[in-house]
Amino acid sequence: MIKSLIITHGNLGHELIQVAEKILEQKLDIKAIAFDWQGDGSDMIAQLEKFIATNKGHKIIIFTDMFGGSPSNIATRFVNKNVEVLSGINLPGLLKFFCYEEKSINFKETIKIVEQGAIEGINIISEYLGEKK
Amino acid sequence: MIEKTQIIINKLGLHARAAAKLSHLANMFNANIYLVYNEDKVNAKSLLGILTLAASVGNEIILQASGDDEQEAITAISGLFNRKFDEES
Repeated sequence: MIKSLIITHGNLGHELIQVAEKILEQKLDIKAIAFDWQGDGSDMIAQLEKFIATNKGHKIIIFTDMFGGSPSNIATRFVNKNVEVLSGINLPGLLKFFCYEEKSINFKETIKIVEQGAIEGINIISEYLGEKK
Repeated sequence: MIEKTQIIINKLGLHARAAAKLSHLANMFNANIYLVYNEDKVNAKSLLGILTLAASVGNEIILQASGDDEQEAITAISGLFNRKFDEES
């Protein structure tokens, strides 16, 4: 089973989860951690360590809001064969993750699918319409 | 394979919550189910796929289903459209 958490600047992660839960009309099994603007990241590291220890034996995906940002940089320290980080998560990517029914089968494949969903969710609308016409 | 023409009658069209309900319902059937709108054809079991149609109120789409429970699937999905996705009184 894949366990997930989202770590972001401010409450972005909480908000994304709330919106996804509203759209999917279900409670989602994902934890959000907000980066403390005043802190040095040690609190986030401690929370990540605890989450990973609590979910030992599971694959873990950590969604972050932006590659290169502190939450993403901190999460990067924990990457190993059981823990992956997907940076720049957005609403389509999050929805893709929770709607992808085969996510327990292949960890790496699931992450690629979610990445693709997130990327495909970004469109320049006039170009999109142009392609459709 | 059977198909049915369906007009979108809810005000917000195939928006996120409607698409979520539709894909959730479609996933309850064994049949392969597709939505066809203009030149696009998407898997009705995919929430993000449905959203790419950007279909609005008044638009006409075609429901297609093939499989052992295709008739039940079309009836149920058509009902959801006609109930305005249970989002309007």
